Amino acid sequence: MNSSARIAITGLGAVCGAGLTLESIWESIQAGRSAIGPLTQWNTGHCPVRHAAEVVGVKPQTLVEDRKLHKFLSRTDMFGLYAAQAAIKQSGLLGYREQLDPETVTRFNDQTGVYVGSGGGNYCCNYDFFPLMSTTEGSLQNFGRELSSSVNPMWLLTHLPNNVLCYIGIQNGFKGTNGCVTNQCVGGVQALVEAAAAIRAGEAQRVVGAGHDAPIEPETILHYHRLGLLSEDVLRPFDAGRSGTVFGEGAGAVVLESLPAAQNRQATILGEFLGSGCTSEGTGILAVRPDGDGLRRAMEQALADAGVTRDQVGLVVAHGNGTRASDASEALAIRRLFGDRPPPVTAFKWAFGHLIAASGILDVVMSLVALRARVAPGIASLHTLDPEIAPLPVSTAPQPLTKEIALVLCRGFGGMNTAVVVRASAV
Amino acid sequence: MKPRRRIAITGVGMVTPVGNDAPTTWSNLKAGRTGVGPISTFDANGFVTRIGAEVKNFSVEAAITDRNLLKFASRPTRFALAAAEEALTDAGIRPKPATARRWGLSVGAGMIGIDFAELEAVQTFCAADGEFNPDGLLDERYPADPVAFCRSQTNAGLGLLTHHFGIHGFATAVHTACASGGQALGTALKVLRRGHADFMLAGGYDSMLNPIGISGFCLLGALSTDNDSPERASRPFDATRNGFVLGEGAGFLVLEEWESAQARGAKIYAELAGDGNSLSSYRITDSHPSGDGPIQAMQQAMADAGLLPVDVDYVNAHGTSTLMNDRSECAALRAVMGSHIDRLAVSSTKSCMGHLIAAAGAVEAGVCALAIRDSIAPINANLVKPDPDCNVNIVQGQSRPLRIRSALSNSLGFGGSNSCLAFRHPEEIDLNAQPRITR
Repeated sequence: MNSSARIAITGLGAVCGAGLTLESIWESIQAGRSAIGPLTQWNTGHCPVRHAAEVVGVKPQTLVEDRKLHKFLSRTDMFGLYAAQAAIKQSGLLGYREQLDPETVTRFNDQTGVYVGSGGGNYCCNYDFFPLMSTTEGSLQNFGRELSSSVNPMWLLTHLPNNVLCYIGIQNGFKGTNGCVTNQCVGGVQALVEAAAAIRAGEAQRVVGAGHDAPIEPETILHYHRLGLLSEDVLRPFDAGRSGTVFGEGAGAVVLESLPAAQNRQATILGEFLGSGCTSEGTGILAVRPDGDGLRRAMEQALADAGVTRDQVGLVVAHGNGTRASDASEALAIRRLFGDRPPPVTAFKWAFGHLIAASGILDVVMSLVALRARVAPGIASLHTLDPEIAPLPVSTAPQPLTKEIALVLCRGFGGMNTAVVVRASAV
Repeated sequence: MKPRRRIAITGVGMVTPVGNDAPTTWSNLKAGRTGVGPISTFDANGFVTRIGAEVKNFSVEAAITDRNLLKFASRPTRFALAAAEEALTDAGIRPKPATARRWGLSVGAGMIGIDFAELEAVQTFCAADGEFNPDGLLDERYPADPVAFCRSQTNAGLGLLTHHFGIHGFATAVHTACASGGQALGTALKVLRRGHADFMLAGGYDSMLNPIGISGFCLLGALSTDNDSPERASRPFDATRNGFVLGEGAGFLVLEEWESAQARGAKIYAELAGDGNSLSSYRITDSHPSGDGPIQAMQQAMADAGLLPVDVDYVNAHGTSTLMNDRSECAALRAVMGSHIDRLAVSSTKSCMGHLIAAAGAVEAGVCALAIRDSIAPINANLVKPDPDCNVNIVQGQSRPLRIRSALSNSLGFGGSNSCLAFRHPEEIDLNAQPRITR
């Protein structure tokens, strides 16, 4: 094991309400445009929450070229597969593989891993049983008897939480080390953590990391709303008037390679994955510690793992989900780590909502775009920084960046905290 | 470079269809007693498959007395809490405030689980005619239950386990269908090796024995329909096998650094010596008939553990009792083990326990630890007429006394993820305790 092995980032992919490409998402963030708008997937009627950042203007099916796959994929899977394929395309891995002799191709595929973070399943997937339940009216015996004439025989396979992992493999022939992380909000970014660890440990030469989710569904919205976690229409991270988060949907993906392997094939190196830290708080299913202890420890571990000092960090991309408790404890953790002189802090969820399992990895993707553009985009929805969590160097306006390293934060249910450190290569 | 950390298994806990703790489970597995019977937790009489391997007479309260916590725990999470408690007690060490941050948790957890009654409530209010209309959720009589919502979160188990046992370090959950439990232990091994934790509680838990879970598998035709002879229904490697038997339960291990386990006088069952992990990239439900996929996972696990085929004495096979899996797995075993294949013992303990899905790999890892401790290769029950296409040395008739120097455990999942774990007898020397050579 060589913990100092350097890991190159050679491909990035993303899809969310703000756009279908990195460029369009970045443009929308820089323009201060939020993708949060009225829900279109169903008639929201009297629903107390009628806004989200949906992927609109495109049918998810059109995101997956192979039409034969459409009937085996759910909405979230299509986002995940699309982002992963975009990242793989940008990396140029497939073109490189084409030039190899057959034996080397076999080794290449065995040394190519895939790690995916998935939402783990939606309430809606069970709704496929409703027609059957309505005709059998509570009789389980009849339910069992008429099952196969009512429900698609492939039902289970369409809803496997590890579908995206499976099809990234099948579509590209990758056969290396793999995993599907189902750890709610931190799932996607933990997939990236395991991807990097696999390269460091020599288990893979390159890994596709992806995270995807589509939490915008009536039952989930209702429950989050009743728990006081949702804003009606605007997500205002760190704002005095913040009232909760807003759902988004989509995916983020990153191709990681051992740096020597990437250099050998003369790949364009977009940046480096430097390190990570993951902690739990033992607070139960929903609560976060008010003092941000778990998040601060995750940041400290990530910096130590990356061999980077606080002073080298040029940008903090906060989780900033817009809930009262999470933002307050997060601001506290950032202040405690960085003391009087924190680097610019920003957050992206105001622009494309909270993608739950895809949120952390999408933030990593957009951090790299921001670092390469040398600007921390402003938080357009921020009016007044909450005095209770000030000072915190967040801004409505863009802040110039002078350093090339970002610390990206992600938190989730279960008291989970993850921090990763990435560096952008000079453009 | 630092030498690689060696990892000891010091605690085992199980809740399975053949026993609500590890000693009972192990004793029944050795005796070849089956846990398969008619499904009793719901009316399965209309289904093509009416049998399953249920956990019986289970009461979580014996292990966990925190009633408020239990409100938030689904059936599989309750199995997890009980098995984890047993593993920690067995190990004689548990997280304390001073060590909490060095304790991690890695679990293989099942798919999103909603109680059928909760789904019925949604259907009643929102889809009386079969068509979903979300307005019904706003009916004031609709019993929206925040506790049920919490129970259904994909990482609810992680939240409850870290909270209850006071774990504050690295925590993660994986779901790669039937490979989940094996991959969760593999992840735990890697986290310990890279120094992100000093102790890991690691395992898997699942229950799909409910109307929706069994429907999913019935629709695929994956389950045995031997409703009249449930005890014989799961017969991996038998020529007459006709599908798997759905089980439920949990298995947990305590993993820690070898020297510190020795220093505290812990009993060490075995070394968790290697992890292999591959993707079949073939079809969503099958591995390649040649064994491609599982072959790489086994080769990696052995290389990782510094084992050659001749060092392996026992393989706890995935052995689901489906036509395709058992053939493909045996082809993989032959390809990997070469001429040594006839000298090593193979069995599938799913013959007694059924298939615990996301928990299977974790429970079977515990079985390997116990098999090594007691020098016994457990029986592959119900094998009467071996399939000629499954030409390996299967433990038939009765369990076999066998000093096991090292063992492998396979878990091969829908979606093509293949996990293989390698275990070594504590008295065997780790010849590979040096920096790993990049393949």
